[in-house]
Amino acid sequence: MDALFSDFADAQREGNGNKLAQTISPAHSDEKLRAIWKSCNAHSVKDVLKHHIHNSSSGKNRLPQEEVKGWVEVFFCYWKAIDDILAVQDSATNGKASHSSWTTVYESWKDLLSALHRGYLSNGFEAWTIPCLYVAGKHLRVFAIKADRERNSNASFDSAAAANFEDDFNPESEQNQKLEDCARQLNRVFNLCLSDRAPIDESRKWGIYYVINLLFKTYFKLNSATLSKNVLKALSAGKGDMPPLIAFPKSQQVTFNYYEGVLHFLEENYVEAERHLTEAWNLCHKGAMANKELILTYLIPCHLLTTHTLPSQKLLEPYPRLQRLFAPLAQCIKKGELHAFDLALQDGEDEFVKRRIYLTLERGRDIALRNLLRKVFIAGGFEEAKEEGAKPVRRSRVSIAEFAAAISLGSQETIDNDEVECLLANMIYKNLMKGYISRERGMVVLSKNGAFPGTGV
Amino acid sequence: MASTQNKSDSKSEAKQQPEQQQPTEQKKAAALEEDDEFEDFPVDDWAAEETEAAADKTAQHLWEESWDDDDTSDDFSAQLKEELKKVESSKKR
Repeated sequence: MDALFSDFADAQREGNGNKLAQTISPAHSDEKLRAIWKSCNAHSVKDVLKHHIHNSSSGKNRLPQEEVKGWVEVFFCYWKAIDDILAVQDSATNGKASHSSWTTVYESWKDLLSALHRGYLSNGFEAWTIPCLYVAGKHLRVFAIKADRERNSNASFDSAAAANFEDDFNPESEQNQKLEDCARQLNRVFNLCLSDRAPIDESRKWGIYYVINLLFKTYFKLNSATLSKNVLKALSAGKGDMPPLIAFPKSQQVTFNYYEGVLHFLEENYVEAERHLTEAWNLCHKGAMANKELILTYLIPCHLLTTHTLPSQKLLEPYPRLQRLFAPLAQCIKKGELHAFDLALQDGEDEFVKRRIYLTLERGRDIALRNLLRKVFIAGGFEEAKEEGAKPVRRSRVSIAEFAAAISLGSQETIDNDEVECLLANMIYKNLMKGYISRERGMVVLSKNGAFPGTGV
Repeated sequence: MASTQNKSDSKSEAKQQPEQQQPTEQKKAAALEEDDEFEDFPVDDWAAEETEAAADKTAQHLWEESWDDDDTSDDFSAQLKEELKKVESSKKR
């Protein structure tokens, strides 16, 4: 306890928010937590805390009475939460039943977050202390997930029975009960930061992106990513007096850009998605491989649709999983192997769907087709020169039968000419090919300059 | 070189598919259970030199600039040419 409050005193004197936040972190060694817990008992704890916190400051830096009261509450909740955490851990190691579970830990940690919340609203906690909110919020989410998992694994034994009896049983929301509650708590913290009217230097607005990122993570895990949109709306409404995103630490910028990018991606707004994901990619710490892999998972499909660029070998090299996901598709697109593309898409279907990129990748088929048609065009060679020394001109009339043969080459299934015409008309409509179809002659007349836009031919 | 190699790989994979379906499916299910959440960074902030953009000055080369494949020497192109010749000759007949 003495060590804890000497850190607390240092942090208060220096105005060091991160150091202060460490004093209420549950992520300490078991011995340290146990030492804090042992240093007082349930009867004496409040008096002990009051004494320590009161003595942690002196002179002109002395904490106002109200603030002391607020911190006593916070540390009281912290002490109780440690009590629960240790009890859960003990019962896990020695197998004995205990009064505590991750659900009780979640509840007592929620009390701590509420005590902090009150501290800001009524006890005059200053804005530099907001890292405390980060630590409290971050672990609330961790405990919520643990509580849900614990309850679900206990419940799975009799879930069959429950399903028989309860008609209105909603497994989805039941499963994530604590995490959903956690999202509500985090939303309160979001509003606590957003609504601060203090001048920007001493505003809780500096906590906004950290909290938003926590909310995004929570909503994504709850499979209700769309709720994140409300957060973005509230954010942009208050944007006027908000510091710009680039004024925040890079960890927060990257995370925020990633989630905003993915949100745009899910709405098929690929240009915006690419912008945010590229920003996240550029700012990301070069050593954060797992995060870089996640960014690329969405950035690669974006590139395919917006700029029609494929990832190079060099880009995929460090990520075996991405290589497995994208290399076969990229190869097929490039070569125009339509049938192989379909097979590759089918092959990865489960994982593509899980990552919500299936529909986007499916659109890559157009490009594979375009590349196949272009190969037919190239294979057609050149017209016989009309006059000596004239620049060779590519044969620009290609019969539909040739395209049909190319399309059915991979699958060996015959495709009738109407269907081919339909595919060709689509290509022309999408501006992937230039020319017109002459039905009576069964020919496609391609544009003499740039039959396949975006290329030299 | 590399491209032809890959191609033959994907071909052999396609051939083996029927026998292999069972195990790959199981493997996939296991992989899907991993949680892939955006991780907390170990540090809060870092210098511009530590960013991905700085680490890779040649960022453009990460994307293939053109999606045109002018390599007409691979198996698939050869196959395609054969096929087109057939179409041609059937027309002349």
